[in-house]
Amino acid sequence: MSKRTGTDGSLLNSLPWTLGALAFSVLPHLQFLPAWVTVIFLGCCAWRLQVERKRWRLPPAWIRIILALLCFIGVLASYESVSGVGPGSALLAVMAALKLLETKQRRDQFVLLFISIFLIMSSLLREQYLWSLPYLFAGVLFTMTAWLRMSDARKISVRQSLGTGARLIAYSAPLMIAMWIFFPRIATPFWAVPIDTSSATSGLSDQMSPGDVSSLSLSNAVAFRVSFDGEVPPPYKRYWRGLVLHRFNGRTWSGNDPAMGSRPRDDVEYLGDPISYQVTMEPTRQHWVFALDVPYDTDLDRTFMARQQQLARIQPIDQRISYNAVSHTDFRLNNELGMTARQYYLALPENSNPRTQEISRNMRETAGSAEDFINQVLKKFNNEEFFYTLEPPALGNNPVDRFLFDTKRGFCEHYASAFAVMMRAAGIPSRIVLGYQGGEMNPMGEYMIVRQADAHAWTEVWLPGRGWYRVDPTAAVAPERIEEGRYGAMLDGVGAAWGLTAPSEWLYQITMTWDALNTKWNEWILAYGPDNQNRFMEWLGMEEPDWRKMILTLVTILVVLVTIISMLLMLRYRPPPKDKAAQLYRKFTESTGVDPDQGETPLSYALRLGTERSEVSAHASQVTSLYLDARYGPPEITSIHKLNSAVREFIRRA
Amino acid sequence: MQQGNTLEKLPLGGDKPRAALDAARDSLNSIILGKDAEISLALACLLARGHLLIEDLPGLGKTILAQSLARVLGLSFQRIQFTSDLLPADIVGVSIFRQESGQFEFQPGPVFAQLVLADEVNRATPKAQSALLEAMEEKQVSVDGKTHALPSPYFVVATQNPSDQIGTFPLPESQLDRFLMRLELGYPNEENERALLTGTDRREMLVEVAPSLTPEVLVALQKSATKVHMTEPLVDYIQALVRFTRESPDIETGLSPRGSLALVAAARAHAFIEQHSGVFPDDVQAVFTSVAGHRLKPASNSAYRMPAELSRHVLDNVSIP
Repeated sequence: MSKRTGTDGSLLNSLPWTLGALAFSVLPHLQFLPAWVTVIFLGCCAWRLQVERKRWRLPPAWIRIILALLCFIGVLASYESVSGVGPGSALLAVMAALKLLETKQRRDQFVLLFISIFLIMSSLLREQYLWSLPYLFAGVLFTMTAWLRMSDARKISVRQSLGTGARLIAYSAPLMIAMWIFFPRIATPFWAVPIDTSSATSGLSDQMSPGDVSSLSLSNAVAFRVSFDGEVPPPYKRYWRGLVLHRFNGRTWSGNDPAMGSRPRDDVEYLGDPISYQVTMEPTRQHWVFALDVPYDTDLDRTFMARQQQLARIQPIDQRISYNAVSHTDFRLNNELGMTARQYYLALPENSNPRTQEISRNMRETAGSAEDFINQVLKKFNNEEFFYTLEPPALGNNPVDRFLFDTKRGFCEHYASAFAVMMRAAGIPSRIVLGYQGGEMNPMGEYMIVRQADAHAWTEVWLPGRGWYRVDPTAAVAPERIEEGRYGAMLDGVGAAWGLTAPSEWLYQITMTWDALNTKWNEWILAYGPDNQNRFMEWLGMEEPDWRKMILTLVTILVVLVTIISMLLMLRYRPPPKDKAAQLYRKFTESTGVDPDQGETPLSYALRLGTERSEVSAHASQVTSLYLDARYGPPEITSIHKLNSAVREFIRRA
Repeated sequence: MQQGNTLEKLPLGGDKPRAALDAARDSLNSIILGKDAEISLALACLLARGHLLIEDLPGLGKTILAQSLARVLGLSFQRIQFTSDLLPADIVGVSIFRQESGQFEFQPGPVFAQLVLADEVNRATPKAQSALLEAMEEKQVSVDGKTHALPSPYFVVATQNPSDQIGTFPLPESQLDRFLMRLELGYPNEENERALLTGTDRREMLVEVAPSLTPEVLVALQKSATKVHMTEPLVDYIQALVRFTRESPDIETGLSPRGSLALVAAARAHAFIEQHSGVFPDDVQAVFTSVAGHRLKPASNSAYRMPAELSRHVLDNVSIP
């Protein structure tokens, strides 16, 4: 009886596969989960494997219950919640690990593999990248193979299991695609999954303190992608408006929360031709929506134009969004500026940056007009020894003074800030716009990529009769930053990221192709929501698509597909003709040189052959038993192959 | 016949009943020496839910085989010694008037056991014989208008002396047909006879041997045995055999459909015992003589007089598809 309390080692063949599949499915989650979950998971895997190998006993129920409680409390402590993607997947991972400790039979393994499938699918709740798809398929294939290994590990080779698993997935793929296309999408999913907000990506910050940050990282991460309906505007016109900063405390520029209820479009006189384009924006966890220069309209829901012509959305952008927008690069902004507003855009803290205020006032007095003054300031930036650098020195108090008179090194934020302060000191209303400038075309996909490294700050000044207009002081210092686009800079960045010093053309090609593929993925797969679905249904010829019609179509298609697939399967799995086995057996008897008698059974023939030609006895009885199984046993595809190779082997030896 | 040496084990019936069956076979082989094939056939007969007729000269171990079967299979056992003055009531039982209760009460006869040994069945009168054979066929007994079910599983092992011995009533063909198989034990070989002479008394051994099966397991095994895979070519083979018995000039009456059904059931059970992946031609040949031997009547001018010879003639002349 003592033997029965330990494991019998019967799972030894299939258990490593189950563990492997489970680990593969947990892997995408691990980077988001607390470290102790990984430890528990790997620990339980190793423990269970060792139990099977050494025929140990499984831990008793009370230990498992205590462990389960501890893990539950652990998840609760780590997340302060048990709902949501993070705690949910953490719970799944630890419970799968603990399930291992009571896995005794195949039934338990089935449960584990179900969890594995669930885990791999739930990784989609975190990330839906293009590469998630092959990983997903690999995970499902792994799990299917583990499944197949479980049921028949001894008879079938790993390659056959993998092949069968792949075939099963291939058979189900058409159903999957049909369901994906036709299952009705709902605009606001009531099952909306709480998104894991801990993994915020960097965007523009709501404030700007030139001098505090001593270096700007050149991140190649994509901010957004744009495809233009018409001609692509030249680089110097590609200012992507994000947010506007107008309050300055001597050190830091900040803006308002997006004000609602205003009618900012009335303040704009749109000139020239509208430019329409489509933007696919990466999540920023902020409210700002980027648009070219001064936007006219966008189709993004719950989005409005704030008072300073920036677009803002009511809830933060925590998912990739896609929207159409129309902008004008020629415009007149706020011909009229009220007294309050004027004070607003002229405000400067009294004792800050005194040297700047003084030189500014002096320059304004010598200059004839406001335009002259602006040009002189730009000239000053251009002629004096100002350098554009991404790693400027820190500036301390009165950063504008320090920058203008001492260090003279900085990037866009420094120039924009200094320029705006000088304008205000001279009585010209000014404000700072944060956004992106430039962007590069992807030659593989006919669209433009705007990266975090394209983040830019520029100024807008207001002159009577002219309204607000853009002045980019950085252009005066480093015109190439603005005019050339960033083709060269991009190459450098990619090369550096890969540890290469020289720009490499093929790497550029690969990067661009990958980005183009990703864009297609985003456009066609991830953006396939209710609108796109309706459009697609109409394109397919469905009139006034609604969910009833889609479900009906889906059911019809599924029935047809299942019929076709099952017919294919029936063709494939029809047992091989028994004649084939008989033919092979005849080949075998012919090769032995001993003729079977009439009415002599295969076994008695093998026995006779064994006495007449003892040297072939073992092989002959092997062939005989394979033949009997293939011809008289239950239909199995493999048996005929086995017989075939055994007969060939026999003939080869003879 | 050779023992099967196939690679695959049958998944049918699960492992435990299977192991019990093998243990039962081993026990039987340890009591009755050198009769492996006959024991397999006897087991196959029981697994196929058939009744067994053992025909041979006195003293060749017919009775001991029947007793061993009952013992090893864990079945309740009754023995009826058939004599020329045996009455049907001696077999099925009688209704007795009980004075205490003032009612007739059925007193079951020896036929009410899971395994009934009908010893020397051909010594009794046809009337007594038919009482037993009816019980076998109907698996129930009617006395005084009341029906009494026989226990389940229910086997009859009948023994008979060769009918050329004096003072016997040979069973008519129609009644022979009720037995799924007829076995002949034959003399033991030198070696086995020596072991028999020097070894423990068989009847003592019989008491000591432990039952390997229970009636429930036996029923499960019977059920599994009916599920052994049978392929088209094998059905072709059985049909060819049956056709040959009907067309051969050496045979007066060939196999009836009941006979061919019996052949299928017995071959299935044999394949199950031998753990074949399906019914093999070897299984058919193994059971053919015992299943068909007593159902075939040689033509008067045939050279093959003995059932074994006749069966061999059939098997040797039908090619296996």
